[in-house]
Amino acid sequence: MLRTDRLALCHFWVAFGLFLPAVVLGAWQMLMRSPLPAPLDDSNLYYASVTLHGTVMAYVLTTFFAMGFGYAVAVTSLGRPLRGIAAAWIGFAICVIGTLMAAATVIAGRATVLYTFYPPLLASAWFYCGVTLLVGGSMIWVVLMIVNMAAWKRANPGAPVPLALFAVTASACLWAWTASGVTAELLGVILPAAFGMTTQIDAGLARTLFSVTLHAIVYFWLMPAYIAFYTLLPQAAGGRLYSDKVARLVFIMFLVFSLPVGMHHLFADPEHGVGFKFLQAFFTFFVVLPTLMTVFSICASLEIAGRIRGGRGLFGWIGALPWREPMVLAGGLSLLMLGLGGFGGLINMSYAMNSMIHNTSWVTAHFHLIFGGTVVIMYFAIAYEMWPRLTGKPLCSKNLARWQLWLWFWGMLITTIPWHVAGLMGQPRRVASFDYGIPVVARTAPWVDASVLGGAILLISAILLIVVLVRSHFGARTADSPLRYALAVHPPLRVPAALNGFALWNVLVLVLVVAAYGYPIGQFFFVLKPHSTPAYEVTRSALPSDP
Amino acid sequence: MTSWSRNAWLLSGLTLLAFVLGFTVVGRFEPDSPRLGTWAAFCRSLGFTADRGAATEPQPTPRTPTTVAWTRETLAEVAAGDATRGAFIALNCTACHGEEGVSGSDLAPTLAGADAAALYKELADYRSGKRLWGVMNGVAKALSERDCADVAAYFATRQHGLQPITGILAPQAGRSLRQSDPASRLVYAGDPSRGIAPCAVCHGPSGYKVGAPALLRQRTAYIERQTAAFAQGERQNDIDEQMRTVAAQLTAQEMHAVAVFYGGYGLPDTVP
Repeated sequence: MLRTDRLALCHFWVAFGLFLPAVVLGAWQMLMRSPLPAPLDDSNLYYASVTLHGTVMAYVLTTFFAMGFGYAVAVTSLGRPLRGIAAAWIGFAICVIGTLMAAATVIAGRATVLYTFYPPLLASAWFYCGVTLLVGGSMIWVVLMIVNMAAWKRANPGAPVPLALFAVTASACLWAWTASGVTAELLGVILPAAFGMTTQIDAGLARTLFSVTLHAIVYFWLMPAYIAFYTLLPQAAGGRLYSDKVARLVFIMFLVFSLPVGMHHLFADPEHGVGFKFLQAFFTFFVVLPTLMTVFSICASLEIAGRIRGGRGLFGWIGALPWREPMVLAGGLSLLMLGLGGFGGLINMSYAMNSMIHNTSWVTAHFHLIFGGTVVIMYFAIAYEMWPRLTGKPLCSKNLARWQLWLWFWGMLITTIPWHVAGLMGQPRRVASFDYGIPVVARTAPWVDASVLGGAILLISAILLIVVLVRSHFGARTADSPLRYALAVHPPLRVPAALNGFALWNVLVLVLVVAAYGYPIGQFFFVLKPHSTPAYEVTRSALPSDP
Repeated sequence: MTSWSRNAWLLSGLTLLAFVLGFTVVGRFEPDSPRLGTWAAFCRSLGFTADRGAATEPQPTPRTPTTVAWTRETLAEVAAGDATRGAFIALNCTACHGEEGVSGSDLAPTLAGADAAALYKELADYRSGKRLWGVMNGVAKALSERDCADVAAYFATRQHGLQPITGILAPQAGRSLRQSDPASRLVYAGDPSRGIAPCAVCHGPSGYKVGAPALLRQRTAYIERQTAAFAQGERQNDIDEQMRTVAAQLTAQEMHAVAVFYGGYGLPDTVP
């Protein structure tokens, strides 16, 4: 088990070790976009910085965190050593190599294509190879999670798989489906051009393939947060999980509903008709179901905890909760941000309302609030919960951890709420520098300044996080503190086969993906045949005719 | 289990409803366009619009700015240029464009170190009459497509002329809209209030776009004259009209400042 602890810890350290510099870049980007003086105000540097910030936050932090979390959960929830630990280390090594390749290419100035790639923009092949390795390496984790769950089921026929592992495996299945889009885009469209095998790129096909990934990946990021909501938060609050069955259903619904919705990122795309855009917008509303079920279950679980601790009355239980526990505090703050961000998301995915905010800063503000806020604050809480378990040393200071979480919460609100407003005023996204001399742009200046302040607070919080984790890591060893998962009010003795495995649901995902994407992707091959544009190399190392 | 099957039916029903709404109702209505029948609405929902099919009405002959399109075939032809063979053809260029394409005259641009694709396109435009400049049309018409690719390859490999675009640049302060020097500001940040993109994203030093000429150390007077030609509509061979759009909005002082910036790029007595 010790070996798995080290494995999980290595994953977490890569995730958080790169997270801090990425926050520094983010804070600088905020300054660069603002009317305030900024060091090194170079527009090219801004896009390189956005590329690195996005790649680290969206691919590296999340993937490494999910993998480390998965390994830790597999061992602690099943109470037996991880199967295939050698393969896990190989996967880790592949992911690290991929990350280094991608990061080095961006730092060398050869990959300013943002994390969504934006073909026909074309970066150095090293960047795409790095991302491909990172995604490919994580597939080893997917296989290991499925193998470990299957092995446990064989050894315990008929018994319900522990909820935490069930959820982590749902997350692994979701990642495999999610990554299929970007992998197809990289291998089929981008890499042939990056390697010079062709000079043309079918940008429409690439965008559509990426949209398969683009929204489901958000739920993959969200999964560890939701797993913590269901399995760690009620325990930390001193209560019980409201319902094990609802939790299983929620994770299954995320797996099923996350995939056929990505085209709500393509509402303004000329390649697609209204039919599939509307269909996928409609499907997107289905995702609201598991989200609302979660809000209900978690509030119910917290209420159970609050009443056990002596809370009375309609709201008295809220005050009775142990808010000094980082996990409980983070859970509460996360749910608040989920509420704000969730309503913003409803606007984004609505076919008609989307046109008001399309390509404005509203969108950037939205995903920072929901991902950087709701999700990442739970990553912190999970780290605080896991660190004593993985290192055998207590958290150095719960007080500092609480400060960190509060700063992150307020920093995120101060950053993103004015950012939303600037977006509503029409500020476009993906712009390196604004001319605040123009009256219509000048109106956004105070809001952007406020966001800069929020960015600075987030940076302080990120530094505090690393301080807490490092100090805890090198603290004095004490007795082992085992990780405990929340028990359900009615712990399941048996569950229906459909709630104990994913075979049925993966078939359903396949059917839905084919229904939702079969035509939109197929049309590029059968309907819109001659469809490529020249790739636009954003960086250039040599002239084509050089000897 | 009845609640399970009821939920399954409910979800299937909603999915079906989404299909019906998406493919028969949503496509039926569109602002400023007549209401469509079911079949037409279905087609529009799939993405078939009137302009995607064959045109039914006679169209006026399109007036294209150039006959070059950056297809796979064109780029392959440029890449296949033979510099050794091109060197022989280039003997014809020396009189105006200088020894090995390093021009000593403000009338003729420096060709040494120019991008092969851009040279190929200009020669093609001279051949087809899309760009007009006295002697060049006659010279270019004497060349075959293969000759153009070869001579372009030759000049692209010459040294001591234009600085090739590397795409890589150490970050430097002042390359944003905060910059007060008008030339640097236009080159690195453009002018969003006039819809002017930064020159650098296509012409270097930091960016490259296929078909756009590298301008680093080009003859200052040549750059200024070409910018003015685009502004006045004398020159019209920019594929997407980007140069005509940008140049028409520049003042004479700005054209001069940008030309000086590129002409003296990296030379000791100028500030890049």
